[in-house]
Parts: sequence; C-alpha cells; structure tokens
Amino acid sequence: MEKMRRAGLRGLVAVLALAGMAFAAGETRKQLHFKVGTHPMVSINNPYGPILVKGGPEHEVSVVAVLHSNKVELDQGQSGNRVSIVSHLLPGADATTGIVDYEVTVPVNASLSLHSDTGRIHAEKLHGDLTLEGRSAAVEVWDCANGHVHVKTLDGAVTLTNVENGHIEVISMGGNVVMNAVNGPYVTVNSNTGQILYDGDFGDEGEYDFTSHTGNIEATAPAYASIEVLARSTNGPVQSDFSLEPKHSPFIGKVGSAFHGTLNKAASSVNLFSFSGKIHLKKRQQ
Amino acid sequence: MNCVEFERVLSGSPEGTHTADQQAHLDSCPACASLVADLELITAKAKLLIASDEPGPSVWNAIEAQLRREGLIRSAERVRVEVPFWQRWRTAWLIPAAAALALVVGLKLYQPPRVGDPNTVAKQTAPAVAPRPVANPVSKEDQQLLSTVASRPPAVRARYRAHLDAANSFIHDAEESARNDPDDIYMQQMLMNAYEQKQLLYDLAIDRSSAPDLGEQ
Repeated sequence: MEKMRRAGLRGLVAVLALAGMAFAAGETRKQLHFKVGTHPMVSINNPYGPILVKGGPEHEVSVVAVLHSNKVELDQGQSGNRVSIVSHLLPGADATTGIVDYEVTVPVNASLSLHSDTGRIHAEKLHGDLTLEGRSAAVEVWDCANGHVHVKTLDGAVTLTNVENGHIEVISMGGNVVMNAVNGPYVTVNSNTGQILYDGDFGDEGEYDFTSHTGNIEATAPAYASIEVLARSTNGPVQSDFSLEPKHSPFIGKVGSAFHGTLNKAASSVNLFSFSGKIHLKKRQQ
Repeated sequence: MNCVEFERVLSGSPEGTHTADQQAHLDSCPACASLVADLELITAKAKLLIASDEPGPSVWNAIEAQLRREGLIRSAERVRVEVPFWQRWRTAWLIPAAAALALVVGLKLYQPPRVGDPNTVAKQTAPAVAPRPVANPVSKEDQQLLSTVASRPPAVRARYRAHLDAANSFIHDAEESARNDPDDIYMQQMLMNAYEQKQLLYDLAIDRSSAPDLGEQ
C-alpha cells in the first residue's frame, strides 16, 4: 500500500514537473478558424515542428497551433479561398524555441501546400492536390485520392499509404520512399541514395517510373498484376521473381543488369531504373 | 589551401580573424567551417568559466597523457605542459577552451580500431595526425547554393554539401553514360532526373520563414 502511495506521489511530482517545464518554456496554444468556399487552398510553412492535416467538415479550416516559445509567432492571412499560415521565427529562434505543432482540419477537397524543415508532415483523408516539402522532415500521405501529390525531401522518409488514382511525383535525395497500395495514372519517384519500396498492384493503365542513383529499388506485386516492366541498373544487379513474357529490350545490357517483359495484359507501364542500386521485382506471397 | 594546411595555421590565428586564404578555404569547405564554428562556440562558452577554479595539475597531466595515447602530440614535442604551451594564450580563461579544443580535435580524428586488427597497437603509436582528404572543389553555381545556406547550423550545411556532392555525382555518371551511348533515351531521362535533384537542393535551400503575402486577418 505504502509502495503504491509512493508511486502515486512520484507520478504526481512528474506530472507537476512536466507541467512546470511546459509553463516555463512559454508554450502558447492558439486556435484559428477560417470560413472558406469550395476547393480552398491552404498553405502552411513551419520551419520547425510537425504539421498534421486531416480532412474535415466543408467550408471550414480549423487550426490548433502550439508555439513552444515567444521566439516564434504566427503570421496568418486569408484572401478569398486562400489561407496562408507561417511560423515566423523571431531573432534568436532556433530549432528548439522555433517549434510550432500544428493540427489542422480542412475540407476534404482542399489543396494543401505544406513546408517544414524538420517536423513531420502528415496528410490524411484528402482528395485535393498536395504539395509537401521537408528537408529532413518525414512526409506521410494516408488514405488520399484523386489529387496530385507532389513530395520533396532531402533526407526525410516518404510514406504513401492507400493513395488512389493519384498523379504522384516524389523526389528525395536520401530519404527512403515507401509506397503501399498506391496507384494512379502517373506515379514517379526520383531518388539519389534513398531506397524506393513499392507494394501494390500498379493499378490500371498507369505509368510508374522509379529512378535512383545508388538507392535500391524493390517493387512487390501480386501475381494478378497487369504490367509491362522495363528494369535496368547500369552497375547493379537486377532480379525478377516473375516469369515475364519477354519483350525486345530497347537497350543492350549485361546479363543480370536488365530485363524487359510483360505480365498478364500489361495494362500499366513500370520503369525501374538505377545507376548502381539493386533492383528487385518481387512476387507478393499469397 | 587545403584542410591540413588550414588546421595547421588555425591554432595560431587570433580569435575570429582569418587571412584571405583561410577565409577562401572556409567558404569552400563545410568541414573546416564546421570545425571553426565549434571552436568559436567553445571559446564563447569558455568565457563563462572565467570565475571557475583552474583544475589541478593532475587533470592537465591526464589530458596530456590522453592526447599522447591518441597520437595527437608526439614524443619529440614533449615539454612541460604548463609553461610554453599555455603562454601562447593571452588570457587564463582560454585554458578550459584549449582543453575542450583538444577533446574536440581528438573526437574528430579518433578512429576506433577494428575488432581483431593485429596492427592496432602500431596504429595507435603511428606519428601524429593522418591528412584529411581534400574536399571536392566547389563550382561557382554550387558556391551560390552553399552561400544560401551559410547561416544554417553546421550540421545542416554539411548535409547540403553532401547532397550537392551526391547530385553532382549522379549528373557525372549519367552524363558519362549518355555520352557513351547518345541514343540511350533512358539514360537521358536519368540525366534529367539528376538535374532535377540539383534543382531540389536549390528549392529547399530557400528560407521561407517570412510573412505571407495575404492580408492579415
């Protein structure tokens, strides 16, 4: 009993200490609401700190922002259907004191432009166009459809999950790009050292271009996938788990460094190119 | 001037001043710029320690012994640590700065021995500091990018420099392959992708923490 009481006291002290730290650190919580029309455009630029955006009610953009110090302030503006928010760093702000945490809900058909240097960028349940940029920020897109998805990172990992009918362009220098159940008329990933990992069925009549300099490319598809695959690594190994119907290759390659073939009706085109990374087309285990 | 020459003259430079040669090297070498930034930070912090008690001789002897073990000072230079070495410093408050400097240099140069390496002992006693590789030359346009991020923290600048090297390497490889086979449209596409990566670096180098151009609410 005594032990439990002591543990409870310790917990209370910890909570009070954390609350005290938060108070001392000068955290400020701000709530913003914007009335918007159909297809609004929302732009958030937050150098340090996460930006989490979800689809919500129509005609309203709601923002909850937690500022970690008085070294950063919010600059906000609205012009018709356009809403813009910037975490404005004041003199002396750094990667700790300049942090602002954003949680935002927007109409599902809103278009977004989000930028963060280091904070996580997360977009979920949206049908509008998404432009997401982060230096080392991880970028996540979940359960989105029918929009353009443009992602740029330097080191930040990129995760696209359940993105339907998207026009998707991802470019990253060193971040791994992971796609699960992603399809659309145009899906392109351009990486330097980061890996490109795709797991999906390549949809219907889409074009999928994955390119890297040294990063490995791994694409996993089910046996029913309908694809024409062209794969080549100039200085790396290339491997396929499928018995593809061979097609004439448009280039001369060393054995084991390229293949070109079709599976089923070859509805979608899949191009996997690397300079020195390993390329593996894997068959999904049932 | 390369990195080795720069480090050789660094300790003789008065605080915060550099010759034109040194400044030119600093502008082109993120690694040395990072080292100087670290040293300036240490020096600034050390000023706060003016009032603190100077550690006893045993501490300095231990540091000297550690530096000797690391191979950072050689037997030929063996002198009483306190007198000639410290006299090079103008004020006593720089003593802890010097100790911190030695530790920073030691950490930067320290290479842990590999497991099972029979030459470990010989390597540890090998004379002095191995020369650091000279950084890749920076083109005018790349210099522009690096100057855009010059105000960022050293680690961020170093990452930009590394990514710049990676993008240039991709461009070089793709260009060479495209030159070898001008009809290879796929390699031409790779080359375009490589340039797109360089464009990405420029895009993300821009500081966007300014006010929006929309009307305030």
